[in-house]
Amino acid sequence: MSAESRGENPITALGRQVWGSIFRHGLPVSDKVAARTALTNFFLHVHPVRVKRSAIRVSYTLCLGGLSFFLFILLTISGLFLMFYYVPSTNQAYQNIQDLQFVATFGLLMRNLHRWAADAMVITVWLHMARVFYQGAYKPPREFNWAIGTLLLLTTLLLSFSGYLLPWDQLAIWAITVGTNMAKYAPIVGPFTHYVLLGGRTVSQGALIRFYVLHVIALPLVGFVLMVIHFWRVRKDGFTGGL
Amino acid sequence: MATLTGPTGPGTGAGAQGDGGRGDGARRAAVGSRPPVVRPGVSGPELAAAPLVVRRVEEEETVVTFPTLVWKEFLAGLGMFVLLLAVSVQINAPLLQIANPAITPNPAKAPWYFVGLQELLEHFPPVMAGVMFPTFVIVGMLVTPYLDRNPSRRPQDRKVAIVMFTVYLCLAVTFVLVGQLFRGLGFNWDWTQIFGHPGLQSPY
Repeated sequence: MSAESRGENPITALGRQVWGSIFRHGLPVSDKVAARTALTNFFLHVHPVRVKRSAIRVSYTLCLGGLSFFLFILLTISGLFLMFYYVPSTNQAYQNIQDLQFVATFGLLMRNLHRWAADAMVITVWLHMARVFYQGAYKPPREFNWAIGTLLLLTTLLLSFSGYLLPWDQLAIWAITVGTNMAKYAPIVGPFTHYVLLGGRTVSQGALIRFYVLHVIALPLVGFVLMVIHFWRVRKDGFTGGL
Repeated sequence: MATLTGPTGPGTGAGAQGDGGRGDGARRAAVGSRPPVVRPGVSGPELAAAPLVVRRVEEEETVVTFPTLVWKEFLAGLGMFVLLLAVSVQINAPLLQIANPAITPNPAKAPWYFVGLQELLEHFPPVMAGVMFPTFVIVGMLVTPYLDRNPSRRPQDRKVAIVMFTVYLCLAVTFVLVGQLFRGLGFNWDWTQIFGHPGLQSPY
């Protein structure tokens, strides 16, 4: 039925059409409408339409997986902001961080948020792993998703570690020196790995640009792909629910 | 099983009515893909454990993820965001002097989550602390679900697994705390960072 035959104002009708083309269904006034909304919404589709009540009890999940993902998004957004001000050069990086802290509007807040969210993410991912273990949720058919989760924990640690160097202060350069020195101890491949990681024998410009590229592109991409697989498998392998 | 659970869950009606295949996920979630617990001819403890069966029926109750789960996630995210904002307003991210390869700070420490490995270096040869232990932990985690042949998820059936994992967690946390809090100049043992100098007046 056209808008004219209903006697509706054409502007209102156009508005209704635009809104309806984006959101196919209305507010979740009933379970049925809510299910339709979830089915036809790209973002809501990360969840199944229905799930066992016990599987999403907060006392069971502790929200740790969701919080880790939330922190990843928060870190992406705040990190994007920091990238506008940051040049990965040993001559400029430290000055850029100081500008962020003392000159750029909300720069200090963004850097603090980025730093504390990164530490929080290491903790939430780690606790998420512990929660999944204690509930035996890694058992068949979820063996592979546990392995993906292990790789996500490693990615989180490497993301945090690569970001540690970027401020180019005494804390950064020496923490990375201590951290990467451990790679040297590996038999045969150790010194070579150390050299490739740093782009040289010491932590200098070569290491800074490598860690920067890893931090802002390579590792987030790896993490994103692993997360997509992780979430998809959570749905496909089914939910565990209460013990 | 489906007939058992149907009336108990307020939302299972949508799946049972079958709205033209669109509620596929709903129906699967409501009915469940696992074989029913109560089967004719089954014997042993499974049948004897009557309360377990009752709990299974309760478990099958499903809810719509939107808005139930989305609302929980939103609140959790909001809480975390407010907490981080509060911390970020109060505490600044550390920034020392500009990097200087000629001046090594004493002690030089790895980031806190790797300080446990640095602490291990104090007790074991480098090839063990820096390479073998981390490799063992990573590979061990990857293969855990394939090594653990115990099908039960109930804590009382998994005592060995839970004890082993708890020992690992406690060791990891202890080594990080020791490396972070109790290692001073030259990465030597140092109580004073936490407990102060005995017999000395604190300057603060």
